[in-house]
Amino acid sequence: MFINLRKIDKWVIQAVLAVFALIWLYPLVQSVIKSLEINGFGNYLAVIRHPKVNYFLVVFNSFFIAVCTTLIVGLLATLAAYAFSKMQFKLKNVLFYSLVACLAIPATAVMSPLFFTAKTLGITNSYPGVILPLVAFNAPFMLLILKNYFDSIPNAILEAGMIDGASSLRMYRTIMIPLGVPAIINIAVLTFIYSWNDYIIPLLLIRDEKMYTVTLATQFFTGTTSQTPEMVAQLYAALILMTIPSIIVYMFGQNALKSGLTAGAVKS
Amino acid sequence: MTGNRSVLSGWRAYLYVLPILVLSGLFLYYCIGFTVYTSFHSWNGIDTDMKFIGLDNYIKLFDDKSYHIALRNNLIFFVFTVGVQAALGLLLAVLLRAKLKGNSIFRSIYFIPTIMAPIIIAAIFRIIMDTNFGSLNEGLRAIGLDFLAVSWLGDPKYALMSIIIVNIFEWMGFSMTLYYSALLAIPDEIYESAKIDGSGFWRTLFKITVPLVGGTTSTLVILGIVGSLKTFDIVSLLTGGGPGRSTEFLTTYVYKKAIEEFNGGMSAAAGVTILIIALVLAVLQIQFTNRQQRDL
Repeated sequence: MFINLRKIDKWVIQAVLAVFALIWLYPLVQSVIKSLEINGFGNYLAVIRHPKVNYFLVVFNSFFIAVCTTLIVGLLATLAAYAFSKMQFKLKNVLFYSLVACLAIPATAVMSPLFFTAKTLGITNSYPGVILPLVAFNAPFMLLILKNYFDSIPNAILEAGMIDGASSLRMYRTIMIPLGVPAIINIAVLTFIYSWNDYIIPLLLIRDEKMYTVTLATQFFTGTTSQTPEMVAQLYAALILMTIPSIIVYMFGQNALKSGLTAGAVKS
Repeated sequence: MTGNRSVLSGWRAYLYVLPILVLSGLFLYYCIGFTVYTSFHSWNGIDTDMKFIGLDNYIKLFDDKSYHIALRNNLIFFVFTVGVQAALGLLLAVLLRAKLKGNSIFRSIYFIPTIMAPIIIAAIFRIIMDTNFGSLNEGLRAIGLDFLAVSWLGDPKYALMSIIIVNIFEWMGFSMTLYYSALLAIPDEIYESAKIDGSGFWRTLFKITVPLVGGTTSTLVILGIVGSLKTFDIVSLLTGGGPGRSTEFLTTYVYKKAIEEFNGGMSAAAGVTILIIALVLAVLQIQFTNRQQRDL
């Protein structure tokens, strides 16, 4: 909405953007500075060598959980969206709406039964114990996005496939998946961020320190802080260390992330 | 796509939806059913003993002051976070749309908190907002604004506002990103003719830009309600629902009733009220996406 800007206008715009950028940078920059107080990089070493929380294992746990959740959601939601969008069967609408009706449910609302279900299945303190509930709580929203996108793929393409004698599974692989890429990236990015950042599901289902995720480990460090300046510096170092993986993922996935957030879900 | 012989109809279709149904059955429907069931029982949340008590949990719940506070807080939180995030996000997106130097760096800076875990952001702000040692108050005192150096998280008057500020910090970049890409789709000609008509910055913003990004705004409002209903981590770390019960949210209420007060029945009843709100939201979201679909 800026046509032929005068020099002064440009300065004003840059100044406003810069002021907000400073505000948004401040918490991160000050965390980095404070994390180096007193012992310098020693604070980071102390976190990495922490006797109870193994930093690399924690990052691996979060990463593994987020990747598996994303892959499983991707598989289950594309299969189901394909059927709901392109196939004819009884109870189709009932099943579809009863699934997507769950899209806004927070895990907290059903926390007690969630805990007991995991316990009955014997999957507390394990990867499946976190991954399966994360899949279940994320899948409905992703199903809605995918089904809407699949609806825009013309039926004529599938009809041509059927004339060629393709099976339904083959059309899933050769037509729906390749044509659905923008929406699939979109749901993959969202699922990855949501599961990486999830706090309540690991909090309910993980006790063992070996299974800690980044969010649980963060809570562990904040929980044990007494107010000595040394502990505060170490806490900051821990927070920075827990943030680094997100920043790396962001740098690598920046473009997928931005196109993913805006494609498919949002058409304006 | 019809005809019984088609490979796209008949029993095979069920195989495609079966995996998601099994998982949802186990972790969603069963849990929902169990929550509804326990909400009519007196239960400590641990043993298998349950006693049917009808609507008692709901009666107690609707009489509970902390529950009213939680409902009110969720509503205030939703209105202010969505409102400010959208307004600020749109304003910055508009300025970024001028595509001056540093554009992509600015966008990354605003967006980074969105990919950080809320719990980490909350942990950082808990130290920044500390009454005595926090850098926020140190800064305010340094520039002589001592009267503004309040107890951000420890005073019931300010605690909810502080939580809202932290949430805005986390999610503003998300609104900005969605608005920015919506703005990229608006052709320059529209603005050129507005300029020829002598329309100024604010007038153009409200008369042209805001209506044109209406779809994005609706998306943000729905995601905002869903997000406010789910909010748990930043509240539990920043204030734990306190001081007193002043920053209780629906989720922290459910959590405390079950884990700290061993009142599984009332916790479930509060959970059921969340489920009802979530269902209404899902209906809104489905209608909204269907409408978007038709508009394409």
